[in-house]
Amino acid sequence: MASWVSPPTRTELIEDLVSGVDRYNPSNVSILEDYLYHQIRSQEYDCLANLAILKLYQFNPDLYNPDVVINILIKALTAAPLPDFNLCISLLDERPINASLDEPDPLPTLLPTLKQLSDLLYRCRFPAFWEVYQSDELENLRDNYTVECVGFEDAVREVAIRAVKATFTRISADRLASYLDLSGSELVAFVDKKGWKMDANVVSIPPNPDNQIEATVVQENIKLAQLTKVIAHGAST
Amino acid sequence: MAQPRVALWAAEADDMDDDLQDMSLGNYGQNGHYDDTFFQQPQIDEATLMAMQQHMAQQAAFAQIPDVVKGFIVHFHQAVLENNLPEITIAYESGWNKYTEKFYSRTEWPEAEIIAPLVNDDPIFLILYRELYYRHVYSRLQPNIDDRFHSYENSCELFNYLLNSEGPVKLELPEQWLWDIIDEFIYQFQVFCTWRSKVKSKTDDELLMLAEGGPVWSSYSVLNVLYSLIQKSKINEYIAAHQAGKTPEEIAEIVGEYGVRPLYRHLGYFSIIGLLRVHVLLGDFTLALKVMENVELNQKSPYTRVTACTVATYYYVGFCYIMLRRYPDAIRTFVSILNWIMRMRQYHTRSYQYDQISKTADRMYALFAICNALSPSRLDDNIANISKERYGEQFAKMAKGQEDAIPAFKELFLYACPKFINANAPPYDDPVALNTLLQSSPDTSSPDFDSSALSDPAQRHLSLLLSDVVAYTPVPTLRSFLKLYTSLGAKKLANFLDADEEEMVQQLMVMKQASRSVTHVPGGKGLLDGQTASTSDLNFVIDENMVHIAESTVGRRYAGWFIKNTERTQKLYDDLKNQPLPPPSKSAGHGANGAGAPVAPVQTDVKPVRTGQPKVAWGGVKVGA
Repeated sequence: MASWVSPPTRTELIEDLVSGVDRYNPSNVSILEDYLYHQIRSQEYDCLANLAILKLYQFNPDLYNPDVVINILIKALTAAPLPDFNLCISLLDERPINASLDEPDPLPTLLPTLKQLSDLLYRCRFPAFWEVYQSDELENLRDNYTVECVGFEDAVREVAIRAVKATFTRISADRLASYLDLSGSELVAFVDKKGWKMDANVVSIPPNPDNQIEATVVQENIKLAQLTKVIAHGAST
Repeated sequence: MAQPRVALWAAEADDMDDDLQDMSLGNYGQNGHYDDTFFQQPQIDEATLMAMQQHMAQQAAFAQIPDVVKGFIVHFHQAVLENNLPEITIAYESGWNKYTEKFYSRTEWPEAEIIAPLVNDDPIFLILYRELYYRHVYSRLQPNIDDRFHSYENSCELFNYLLNSEGPVKLELPEQWLWDIIDEFIYQFQVFCTWRSKVKSKTDDELLMLAEGGPVWSSYSVLNVLYSLIQKSKINEYIAAHQAGKTPEEIAEIVGEYGVRPLYRHLGYFSIIGLLRVHVLLGDFTLALKVMENVELNQKSPYTRVTACTVATYYYVGFCYIMLRRYPDAIRTFVSILNWIMRMRQYHTRSYQYDQISKTADRMYALFAICNALSPSRLDDNIANISKERYGEQFAKMAKGQEDAIPAFKELFLYACPKFINANAPPYDDPVALNTLLQSSPDTSSPDFDSSALSDPAQRHLSLLLSDVVAYTPVPTLRSFLKLYTSLGAKKLANFLDADEEEMVQQLMVMKQASRSVTHVPGGKGLLDGQTASTSDLNFVIDENMVHIAESTVGRRYAGWFIKNTERTQKLYDDLKNQPLPPPSKSAGHGANGAGAPVAPVQTDVKPVRTGQPKVAWGGVKVGA
């Protein structure tokens, strides 16, 4: 959690911005926007810095840049099941009517789609996610936005892997393939890279704290201190 | 000399002389023929006529003020001048409220200008007086647009005085008042934003004022005030130094001349809580928790003296945790403050804040119910019971997790959530845009009106919570099935649920996900930090197509009961041993009686069979011992 609050990839300049009052200065928005594009290109992610951008847009509607917002939301999708996507939506106030933009605002059309994708990921409906994502309707999203975001699809696969790791000890290759939108040799390569074993179409997931279960009985732990009074009394009489 | 009365007030002697010339010619209205020049008197007279009328009105109003109130104001002023903290506290907490109830429960207090003579026009006291005056207007009456603008200006004057005077001011005010200043400032900001966003109901005058309003009650200016108070008082450095255990001299070094004064220190701390609140109102939950970085949330802190402040703090922190999906943390926060309120209640029944605290407590019970439904835990049965008492119906629906759950969540959330605001005003300064807005918003009276959801921030946040709830709704049913088995085939489970197997497997992943939450660990820095921990007693894992289930149960707790009763018995035995022996002349039965009587009160709560009847054998044993 500490790395979500303060990612090791965050520079000192950004750290000062995010933690101080300079984050309210509208002229600093370009620094944060550049940092966002850096995250997109280098597969890094810094939720709080991106929320700072949205907050500046909230107070200064003329700074609004829809592409930036869409990219922030795309990045937040890959953080599921953390609440990042919801936190971004919380900061998206309604746009005032007289806002001036050079081109029509793409956000209102894309927002419901992005919400739907976030929903599918949170509900672990991975096959449905890939279906919607690859559909024709989302061509705009894929060709103009997610293509820019390096490793977007892999990041989504990571979301699926997180859920699978927690729930399964062994999972059929077909099922895993449907969750990851990979098949055949691609799947084999992916599993290999993860260091997991696959034989006879079943993938074994290495043990981790979440997929090892044991029935525990929470025993009462009687400490000596609780008994001192009783014992002392018994000893003295 | 026949002088017309008005001429007495005329500023310019020359004109007066001119008029005198005309008037002394006998045109003093006796014969009905008025000289025109009499009525073409210079504007000055009109202005001074008005001034005179105003003065007379003020005098009349002044005369109407009851003498006790006048005395109170003078006494209050005196106390403020002398920095007499106990007197100020009494005047502020009981005096003001007493006279409000008695004389001003439905009207405003006299305006500052009217009572100014009583306090020698002391500007500082008048600012403070106005602060109380407007607070009264906002709470008991309906503020109009003038009130709103003026109260903003007064607040600005107050903060200007506190922050931009040469050096820290010598004023001393009770903590409760300082908290109320900050609290009221934010409250007025919040109601202004809500009022401002209702475009349709504005009169033309109001539209004009709003168009020119500019920075009045803007988010930036409110935030500016709060951040300035924090920076000036160096409160964060103070708290850090205090926690590090530095000596008072070192601390004084660190915080500077402003920070050593209690007035600024308290204002600084309350501004931190103020920021927490403003960020939540604007929908920025992570930043809200971040500003609380240095504040330790425990009830032994010296800042818990102002109850309202503590309650507000925990409420907003708990709410942030809910929006961050950290339900165990939220539950812990609410339980802690609700227990504290129950203990403190006895000290506060007479306080004017009792109602407000009770209302907040009620909202927290509702939020607790929401959290408990989404992440059941057995943390505190007492609070859980009270919550079920108040919200049992909704809780039952939410916990069952079917379609009824959604309206129940909606109802409780909208009741308990903070009054969110929009950061920006509708475009009052742009008539064209304003018209478009007015025409485009559909009829608000239709019951299916859904696009109101856009402009109401509460709806936006509600929809986020509801989407989480929808993800969660199948989980309770799954839980109840899984509890019955140690291992179960996926296909079989799907058959029971009448659901598609693959869909059910995905639902199991959701359930697993829901049982893991980020929670704050002791020793973690700041409220945002935490680690993932398991929150459910039902754990399971899927082995290809077989679900293996493990439940953790709590073993029976018997130690407490045994220890308690052992100690009681020992005490009883000791008491008995120390009883005086019965007088030997009485018979054994009576003697036992004598021994029995003092023992009787103790006997009633002892479990082992010890009847009230004295036993002769008992007495016998005693004698023998």
